[in-house]
Amino acid sequence: MAETTFTGVPRDQIPWFPTIDYDKCTFCMECDTFCPHRVFERREGARKLVVANPTNCVVFCRACSKTCGPDAISFPSKPETIARIKQIREGLAIK
Amino acid sequence: MKHAILSCTGLDKPEGSVAREVTIRFADATGSEIICPVLLNRAPARYKKALSESSLIVVDGCSTRCATKLATQLEAKVERKVLVSDAVKASGQPLESTLSLGPGGLTLAQTIVDELVRNLNAPAVAAEPVADFETPTEYLVVTHDKFEFRIPVVDYMFNENDVWARVLDGVARVGISDYMQQKLTDVSYFDSPKMDAIVEQFGELGSLESAKAVFEIIAPVSGTVVAFNGAVVDNPALINEDPYGAGWLVEVKLSDWPQDHELLLNPAAYAEIVKRKAAEE
Repeated sequence: MAETTFTGVPRDQIPWFPTIDYDKCTFCMECDTFCPHRVFERREGARKLVVANPTNCVVFCRACSKTCGPDAISFPSKPETIARIKQIREGLAIK
Repeated sequence: MKHAILSCTGLDKPEGSVAREVTIRFADATGSEIICPVLLNRAPARYKKALSESSLIVVDGCSTRCATKLATQLEAKVERKVLVSDAVKASGQPLESTLSLGPGGLTLAQTIVDELVRNLNAPAVAAEPVADFETPTEYLVVTHDKFEFRIPVVDYMFNENDVWARVLDGVARVGISDYMQQKLTDVSYFDSPKMDAIVEQFGELGSLESAKAVFEIIAPVSGTVVAFNGAVVDNPALINEDPYGAGWLVEVKLSDWPQDHELLLNPAAYAEIVKRKAAEE
C-alpha cells in the first residue's frame, strides 16, 4: 500500500488513522467488522484488536468511529491534516 | 401526522439515560406514543398500529444505535433521529458518569427535546435548487466481479471519499458516487446539513445512514450551504436509484473553487480509485 497517494501525496506521509482508547474499548469488534480496508487486526492477548495497517485507512473517513458504542476510536484534527497535506503538496510542487 | 418515539433503553450508559429522558419528555410535550425497544423486539405486533399511523422519531444513546437498528429491521420510516453522544460532544460539556441523571444530563435532555419540538413545528426548508443540471448520459464503467460502478464521463469531479461535485455559475451540486451507494446498500436516512452553514473542503456536509453504515458526506468543495434535496430527505431511495441525478444531496455556493479544484479528481482518475477500493474489499 506504500505506493498509494491521496491528492498526489504519498499516503504514508499523511497521519490519518484511528487510535483506539483501550480504557474504553470493549473489543466488540464492530469497527473491524465494518472496515472494508483491513485497518484493524484481531490479536491474541490483552489487546484483542490493534490498528495494524494505518495507511490502509481512507484519508478523512471516520466511519468506523461511528460504529463504536463506547466511543473508543478517535481521529486527528481534520483542519490540521488538510493543512499538512497542502504543505506537502507545496513541497512536492504538485499542480 | 402523529408521532411515535423509539429510543434506547437507557440502561447501559449515561448517554442512554439521556435518550430515555428525552423520550419521556418529548412524549409528554407532544402527546406522542412511546415505543419500548425491548417490547418492540419481543412482540412487534404490539406497535403495528402506532408504526403504521405515526411518523417515527428515533433517539439513540450511543453509536451502537440499537434503536436505529430496530427501526431498520422493521423497515419503519424515520422522520428524525437524535444521537445523544453527538449532542454531548456538541454541547462541549462532559456528561455525568452515573445512570441517574444529574443536572447536566437533565439540562441536555431538555435542550434536545426543545430542538426536536421546534424542528417538528418548523421543519427545515430545503431551498429551491440553485443550479439546473441535466442528468448525465455517458458513463465510464468500472467492473469488479458481478458489480458495475458507473462514473459520468464529463462535468463531475470527485474527492477520494466518493463524493462528487458538479459546478455551474458558482454553485456546486454535491452527491455520492454510484460505487458508494452500492457499498452502503439501501440508504434509509439523510441527515442534511443546516442551511447557510459554512463548510470547508473535506469538512462534513451531513451524513447518510443505511443498515450497513453511517456515511459522513465529506465536502468536495468549500463554501456556504444554499440548498439540500428535500425529495431525498422524504425518500432516501432516490440516492440508490439515481445517485448522479435525482439523488443529489446538497448545493454549496463556492468560496474558493480554483483551490478546491486542485484537490479533486477527474472521472478517469476517480475510476482508478474505485478499481483500487473494489479490489481491496
